[in-house]
Amino acid sequence: MTQDLRIRKDVQRGQAFEIEVDGLPVVAYEGETVAAALMAAGIRTTNQTARGDEPRGVCCGIGLCYGCTMVIDGVPNTRTCQTLAQPGMRLETQKGLQRWKVAE
Amino acid sequence: MEGGRVKNPELIIIGAGPAGIAAALEAARAGVAVKILDENPKCGGRIYGQLNDGFKLLNPGFLGPDYAKGKVLLAEFDAIRAKIDYLHDALVFATFENRIMAFHQAGKGQRLAFNKLILATGAYDRPVPFPGWTLPGVLTAGGAQTLVKMQRVLPGKNILFAGTGPLQLVVANQVLDGGGKVEAILEAGEINNWLKLLKGFSRNWGLLTDGLQYIRAIRKAGVPLLRRHMILEARGDRQVEEAVIAEVDKDWRAIEKTRRVLKVDTICLGYGLVPSVELTRLVGCQHRYAPDLGGWVPARNEDMETSVPGVFAVGDGAGVAGSAMAMFEGRIAGISTAQSLGYISAEEARKRKKPYLNDMKKLGRLRDALDRISYPRPGLFELAHDDTIICRCEELTLGDIKSAIAEGTIEMNALKRMTRMGMGRCQGRMCAPAVQEIIAGQSRIPAAEIEYLNQRPPTKLVPIDVLESLPGEFEIRHGW
Repeated sequence: MTQDLRIRKDVQRGQAFEIEVDGLPVVAYEGETVAAALMAAGIRTTNQTARGDEPRGVCCGIGLCYGCTMVIDGVPNTRTCQTLAQPGMRLETQKGLQRWKVAE
Repeated sequence: MEGGRVKNPELIIIGAGPAGIAAALEAARAGVAVKILDENPKCGGRIYGQLNDGFKLLNPGFLGPDYAKGKVLLAEFDAIRAKIDYLHDALVFATFENRIMAFHQAGKGQRLAFNKLILATGAYDRPVPFPGWTLPGVLTAGGAQTLVKMQRVLPGKNILFAGTGPLQLVVANQVLDGGGKVEAILEAGEINNWLKLLKGFSRNWGLLTDGLQYIRAIRKAGVPLLRRHMILEARGDRQVEEAVIAEVDKDWRAIEKTRRVLKVDTICLGYGLVPSVELTRLVGCQHRYAPDLGGWVPARNEDMETSVPGVFAVGDGAGVAGSAMAMFEGRIAGISTAQSLGYISAEEARKRKKPYLNDMKKLGRLRDALDRISYPRPGLFELAHDDTIICRCEELTLGDIKSAIAEGTIEMNALKRMTRMGMGRCQGRMCAPAVQEIIAGQSRIPAAEIEYLNQRPPTKLVPIDVLESLPGEFEIRHGW
């Protein structure tokens, strides 16, 4: 296991699995939010802002600030701090507000 | 665990943190049919929240003394849960005319009529704009705590805490306990004062001896705890690389010659909490501006009832005063509703309230004293430069806000229409508390006299198909 920012004492984690972040594999555990898995791996930028093209990442951690949004399985503006990681989940760094997919 | 099924609830409670749970307990115990809705997957709120499924708790030590207190309350809740209709993952996002609310659960919108209503909506970390505060690596202390406590992940490698009051000490301890590195802790206020205070009160409340323990542990770990210091700027290319800090005066204004730079990759901000008053505002309760309680708070009588009859507000969402106070307030509101619904006599209600009222009075004196040290001073709202982002969603700078003010816009709602401030996804949560004070500073009008942003539904973002799935028609409240 490579060095990450997970604290290993006092809890036992569940099943490990992989999620895909901009095409690269990242480890996550059952019960982890996407934000926690990213922070543990040292990935901090979740999106680039619409006007200033500035990096943003996890800020409030409780779903209010929308700083940590990414495109998750094709859905933009999804809060990583409020989304549980699932095996095979595909994440993309969001650029601006992106476009919502409109159902046929 | 699910709650029981309750037909025709007589009391709706929103929020299952310490305040909401305490209210539910007292009301249900008296015989009231209670329905409690909470947006989180597990009850307990931020402070007594429980680990997600998948994590197995081997040793609760890191959860701190709060965990033990929470366990007692949650056990009490468990014991009576068969009599309470508890809905988790249920987000109340609107109230309408004729006492109707709408909530969202599992992708479906639902309507619910209410008569008696207890709002226990909690609070969130005060957003403080300063140069660089939008960089990845700047988190709120509460956000960092959620990561460390609930997810067991450190927020970074070299961490700086900046803020005021005990919360950041708690989080710093949890980081240290988890093997993290804390570079320094900056307390904007005069820490010696509140140490003295804590000593004076430590006999009555465990939480205060806890406070002293936190300070001891921090000193033992060799982490500098700098009083009268603040963060002025976060710098870095794509994330935080360094922090500019300085000593501040009693108004929290930087003493320039004391400026220095710390190499850190993470900055946690703990400048107190702001009450979540979206629903009390939407229901139409009167509010007042109380900086010592976190900002706008609903006016209440001694039963915790707001200006709207039958609508109560308790806990940090009605004025930040901590979890112990939240529980007392919740109990008072629960007993009051039981009485007003005729389940217990006035005499019985008085008897049940008495011990809590006594504790509240004592705890209240301590809170007042703590608030006098920790409430935000003017310097906190003067850190931003003209090119600093204030409204993160719409990417508006202080310069943008100032030009609108210079054109004569000294009212929040007008400012919103002119600049789009507060119109983004956070719905003003991250900018409005600071903008209130910025307008006050620029216009010389007291912050309390500046009308807050109007509240409209939905109070949180909901998918459009949830709105579509809402049954029936709704009448919006006059004045929106």
